[in-house]
Amino acid sequence: MKVPMNDFRHRVFSFSRMTAIAGNTFTGLTRLKTFYVLLLFALLLIGSSVFMARMTFQQEFQVLKDIALGAMSIFTSLLAVIATARLLPQDIEDRTAYTVLAKPVSRFEYLAGKLLGVLLLVALSLLAMSALFFAVLLFREQSVLNETSRQMAAAPAEQSAEALRLVRASAFNVNLFSGIAVIYVKGCLLAALTLFVSTFATSTIFTTIVMAFVYFIGHLQPIAREYWLQTNSAGMFTKTFLALVVLLFPDLQSFNLTDDVVAGNAIPTALLLKTIAMGVFYCGFYLALAWTVFFRKEL
Amino acid sequence: MRAVAVILSVLLFGAARLPMEHALAETHRQLHFRAVDFNLDLREQLGQLGFVAALSGFRSLVADALFIQAHVAWERTEWGRVLFLFRQITTLQPRAVLFWDMAAWHMAWNASTAAMNDPAQPRLALRVKTAREYFQLGKDFLERGIKNNPERPELYEALARLYRDKYEDHEHASEFFAKAAALPGAHRYTRRFAAYELAQCAGREREAYAQLRALYDSGEQERLPTLLRHLKELEIKLDIRPDQRIPD
Amino acid sequence: MDYPAAPIPAVALTGVTKIFPVPFQRRSVVAVRDLNLAVAVGQIYGLLGPNGSGKSTTLKIILGLVPPTRGQARIFGRDSDRVASRESVGFLPESPYFYKFLTGEETLRFYGKLCGLRGAALKSRVEEMLALVGLTSARTRRLAGYSKGMLQRIGLAQALIQEPSLLVLDEPTAGVDPAGAREIRDLILELKTRGITVLLSSHLLGQVQEICDRVGILANGVLVREGALSELLGVENQTQLLLENAPPNLLEAIDDLAARSGARVIERGRPRTSLEQLFLEATEAAPDESADE
Repeated sequence: MKVPMNDFRHRVFSFSRMTAIAGNTFTGLTRLKTFYVLLLFALLLIGSSVFMARMTFQQEFQVLKDIALGAMSIFTSLLAVIATARLLPQDIEDRTAYTVLAKPVSRFEYLAGKLLGVLLLVALSLLAMSALFFAVLLFREQSVLNETSRQMAAAPAEQSAEALRLVRASAFNVNLFSGIAVIYVKGCLLAALTLFVSTFATSTIFTTIVMAFVYFIGHLQPIAREYWLQTNSAGMFTKTFLALVVLLFPDLQSFNLTDDVVAGNAIPTALLLKTIAMGVFYCGFYLALAWTVFFRKEL
Repeated sequence: MRAVAVILSVLLFGAARLPMEHALAETHRQLHFRAVDFNLDLREQLGQLGFVAALSGFRSLVADALFIQAHVAWERTEWGRVLFLFRQITTLQPRAVLFWDMAAWHMAWNASTAAMNDPAQPRLALRVKTAREYFQLGKDFLERGIKNNPERPELYEALARLYRDKYEDHEHASEFFAKAAALPGAHRYTRRFAAYELAQCAGREREAYAQLRALYDSGEQERLPTLLRHLKELEIKLDIRPDQRIPD
Repeated sequence: MDYPAAPIPAVALTGVTKIFPVPFQRRSVVAVRDLNLAVAVGQIYGLLGPNGSGKSTTLKIILGLVPPTRGQARIFGRDSDRVASRESVGFLPESPYFYKFLTGEETLRFYGKLCGLRGAALKSRVEEMLALVGLTSARTRRLAGYSKGMLQRIGLAQALIQEPSLLVLDEPTAGVDPAGAREIRDLILELKTRGITVLLSSHLLGQVQEICDRVGILANGVLVREGALSELLGVENQTQLLLENAPPNLLEAIDDLAARSGARVIERGRPRTSLEQLFLEATEAAPDESADE
């Protein structure tokens, strides 16, 4: 007769169980057509920015960076939401969740693994987009530099060097990395929030629509917050409404540093770290919340 | 029951992060980030779709789209439209120095020149008046741009040029060249230019001489023909002792 | 305090009740009502009942997938709401879909990792399971291309991946052709010889009768009958006699003997082979062309 050994010790949290689920989720997502269509579209958009309006080089670089970073931002957010929204409903509908959760896998490991899989996917697609973006930027910078050296061939060395310095300064900028990092943090936040919504949502469509609202309202949240904190004259009803918007929705505008990066502003390291910490804080909270709903959920 | 607990914890979390978010936004404000004033006026100008897009994290993309439209309007010399579009662009991206510079340049240089040469307006006085109005619009853009970007030398320099070339106001031109020169990242010539302009202000010759002389002394690379010409003129005007004058 | 005389059952349900609220209505549905049940170690236990009688819910409660409204479920003495209770359980849900994008081998590796297997142990265990369910030749094929029977077999393999002491099967032969069903049946019997306890639900009574030691019948969430198969089915005052090549005079003699001793012959006739038997004999005789496509 087979009886489990009594000295068998179960680990409450196992990193390898979580990574097994993360790896599986990642593999599943990479075998989805939607993912490639989205990524291809984003890459096309970034690539096409090479052919954007030929203006002065400063204008050209500005437009190129705006379009590329804008595309990266929207596709990262879109991917994070779309990839996460269908994970749980799909697993429950296919009953694969039963087989996974009937193994000694805690629901937290399950959720965290799913989220980790999405974050890995988002990271890799952002990496692919960044690589293309920097390649395009480098390519354009090189051709503008060559053009400039030709034009300035007759000018004194000092002026020529100055012109080349200007071209370099308006093309590449270390702050672009900070901007991209914050795009990723925003993607992580949206994925974690989507996971939370999907634990109680009745369908994938519902989750996606809720997230679309969250996305828009989240960008307006700071306006509501400043108004709520500053005005005393507003009526009771208005104040309550504002308070609800402020407390329920995340401030997505804090994760929107690319506009300023493109404008040429430096992002102080302290601000970058604070923003990342804020994002991690959000992710952790939404994951914990997802777990509280999913913990006793009837499958 | 659990739903209530979850909603309550979301609200509590919101309350917990409120001071942090507020502080973060305050940092942004101090850095002049997202200095966009989203008001009804802007909403009307941008239209529903553009406004929503601008609000949801794509304001730089909206600004670019408008910028390209402005470029087209400029090629068609529709000056009113150029002005209208640049007002929106600079409102959306107040931290992009390039846009303020372009806006001012279109107004003070291109539109004003077009107004001076307007065949539809036979009276010179009116043509001059219109041109001066465009100077003023250009100056307004630069002043607002400086207010939003006080640490960037480009706009001070542009404003100095505007004073020098359009208003022939050497005193202001010198002042703004000097302000540009004081900021990190400024072109080296702005210091020289500030001194050149000062040299042309009646009553400030001594200051100008001191500055030019200091530049001259700083090394061979500053001893350009214009600098030498200004120095020579001031040496005569100020009656500098021959042994202290620069060699011919 | 130890009770060596009363060994811990593999599965124990005490007073389990499950009530599902109906959304947006003031009523609720009782799926399982005050269920008491024990599966002893080493048994094959069949949970029977029509569709909607609460079989699946009961299994889900045992596996901790659904929390009971009242009562307690235990596996080898561990409460089902503890993740640790599932260390020694393998589960095959009703018509399962696994991750279609995985191959058979990848599927087993994934579930093995979830059970804490890794490295060489995982590799050899996967090999062993593929061989056990006869899917070694289909290991590199994606599950999207598996037949229903193959899916059921890979499902059985994943349930067994960590060598569990208890196997829970929800309708293991539903939708599988008779040959496949018999393979699964034989596999279950083989597992029993290895000492694995099996709890299965089914509405196919014939199959349950063939393999189960003990059965429970659920109707509307209530356990209406429960006991060892021999106890439940044996008709105390009847005896069956099956003869081969019996001449007619022998049959007459038997009738006489019976009449003299006060017994009565209730029925006499030719035993018929079952349709299942016929099907299996016919299909197994045919040459197997689909062995390794």
